[in-house]
Amino acid sequence: MPRLLIVEDDDRIRLSLRLALEDEGYSVRDVPTAEAGLAEHRAHPADLVLVDLMLPGMDGFDCIRAMRRLGDVPIVVVSARDDTHDVVAALEAGADDYVVKPVAVKELSARLRALRRRASGSGEDAPKVRRFGEIELRPEAGEVLLGDEQVHLTRTEFRLLCELADQTGRVLSRQQLLDRVWGYDVYGDERLVDVHIGRLRRKVERDPANPAHVLTVRGLGYKLSP
Amino acid sequence: MSSKGLRARGLRARITAVFALGALALSVALAGATYELTRQSLLDERERAAVRAAYFDAALIRQGLGGDDPDLAEVLRSLDTGETRRPLIRRDGQWFARTADDGLTEAVPQRLQRLVEQGTAAVQRVSLRAEPALVVGVPLQEGATYYELTELSELRDTLTVLATVLGLVALVTTLAGAGVGWWASRRVLRPLGNVASAAGSIASGDFTARVGRDRDPDLDKLAVAFNRMVDEVSARSEADRRFAADVSHELRSPLQTLSAATSVLDRRRDQLDDRSAAAVALLTDEVARFESLVTDLLELARSDRAAERRPTDVAALTRGVAESRGLPPAVLEVTNLDGAAPGVDEPTAVLEIDPRRFEQLLVNLIDNAGKHGGGVVRIGLSLGKDAVTLEVDDEGPGVPVEERDLVFDRFARGRAASARGGSEGTGLGLALVLQHTQAHRGTVLVTDRPGGGARFRVTLPGRPS
Repeated sequence: MPRLLIVEDDDRIRLSLRLALEDEGYSVRDVPTAEAGLAEHRAHPADLVLVDLMLPGMDGFDCIRAMRRLGDVPIVVVSARDDTHDVVAALEAGADDYVVKPVAVKELSARLRALRRRASGSGEDAPKVRRFGEIELRPEAGEVLLGDEQVHLTRTEFRLLCELADQTGRVLSRQQLLDRVWGYDVYGDERLVDVHIGRLRRKVERDPANPAHVLTVRGLGYKLSP
Repeated sequence: MSSKGLRARGLRARITAVFALGALALSVALAGATYELTRQSLLDERERAAVRAAYFDAALIRQGLGGDDPDLAEVLRSLDTGETRRPLIRRDGQWFARTADDGLTEAVPQRLQRLVEQGTAAVQRVSLRAEPALVVGVPLQEGATYYELTELSELRDTLTVLATVLGLVALVTTLAGAGVGWWASRRVLRPLGNVASAAGSIASGDFTARVGRDRDPDLDKLAVAFNRMVDEVSARSEADRRFAADVSHELRSPLQTLSAATSVLDRRRDQLDDRSAAAVALLTDEVARFESLVTDLLELARSDRAAERRPTDVAALTRGVAESRGLPPAVLEVTNLDGAAPGVDEPTAVLEIDPRRFEQLLVNLIDNAGKHGGGVVRIGLSLGKDAVTLEVDDEGPGVPVEERDLVFDRFARGRAASARGGSEGTGLGLALVLQHTQAHRGTVLVTDRPGGGARFRVTLPGRPS
């Protein structure tokens, strides 16, 4: 059973989410503060984390950054705030997905399932190791090298890179990427893609401001250039 | 140019025109006076010279007439008259001239002749072969008079040149006046332009825009008052925004609990007795409706913000939304106007719109068709270089003409829905469509679909205006 950690200061939301997500097949632990969340995650590493942004003491953004330093566990923000500013800041801090309260449990569950999915590495005929300039992608090992150095990508960043690599040279729209990486079958938030592309570029591009491989195609989406 | 036409052309054109007209009137008056004075003084001078010359010539002829039988033609020939003076002698009712030229004698008016024959010297301006000339008459002796015609065409040429020069000066002065007016109006209107551009930024949601202070105390008053107004409006709008955010948070949190808790109940509905199961079903439906109501209300509360435009493949977005709402692909009709960059196999165009707002707008129109029109039968998308037109058609009863504006009001629901008790929808869907359209400065209207049903047509400019 996947272990899920809920960091939420509102007791009623925490309890109701725990009940509902246990129904969805998760082993849930819940804590009311970021500090307790970090301690809990260190003691019992979770497979997935839900974080509220407005928390007493350490806030959600710092909590996400601290969790990110501990590892690449998928983090979903569940917040009542839906300002672009908050969404982008949370994603920049390292969150993998962002949902706005109130979120239906079915929808939340779908988001969590998508994040748990492994990188598809779709075609069996696809080469095991692919190179794009200095970037070397090893889907089977789940590794990415930039030159000789191993680059540490989160699970979501890695899957984003794999999806782009599967379609090397072809444009993938933001909606296609949302569908393939985040599992959105309805229209999703394109800011998710944009922020993650930015994070990916900072890790695999020598000059993130002038990317050589992870390219934006104006109005259409993104593509990976060999 | 009529004054109405000028007014339509704006303050700047009017100021410029007034300056130009002023300069024109002034320069025409000055040029006219200059011309007239110059003409008079030149004519007077020529007249005096002509009279002097005629008297001199007359004196010479008088001497020549001294003999018994003088040869008048010879006397005339001896005069040094140059090219412009023509001498004539009339003796005993007979004309004597240097050459046989009838035009000369006819140019001397009868009244002048009578005057001179009575012994009075006289001057008159006449026309000689359609050219201006001056005739001077001098009595010589009993029965003989002397006339001298002086051509003035040289003077006329001079005056023509003068008139041309003065006309040109008047024209240049008028143009200069217009230029000064244009420049002055620009200086005067610049503060207004600044205010207008600041107001424009504020209207599109940028409350940081302010008007720079002006050194001119009169104009500075405007800037100060304007900036104070913006401060007030911005403070109020910020307070509203914060209130909406607070309400949003306060509503969203309990809703989240309700939503999660009912889902736990709903999952166990088959373990409940019939009455409880029915109650849970009601609860689940209403919580879902409450959720969308709150979401729509919050969206509406912040819809006055400007659209966040970004390059968007509108056709792909529309296709994706239609698909996600379970519509068959055949429902979508995409046409490309203006031959805008076609895609590889399908028409497509990248326009700058707010994709989130467009998506909501389309979803709401599709849902509206589902609730009140028996479902979408066609989505028409016309892509131009600078605009996109979206049409959502249904086969329902249509919208009566008198309700066509009302349907976009908040909590206005179709008649059919009211008859059903209005249990479906939040009543905010079309109000949101209107707000999203207005955020793009576009238009939305509802008409009849050919063949029955309603057609909602949304036109959005594809670039920021």
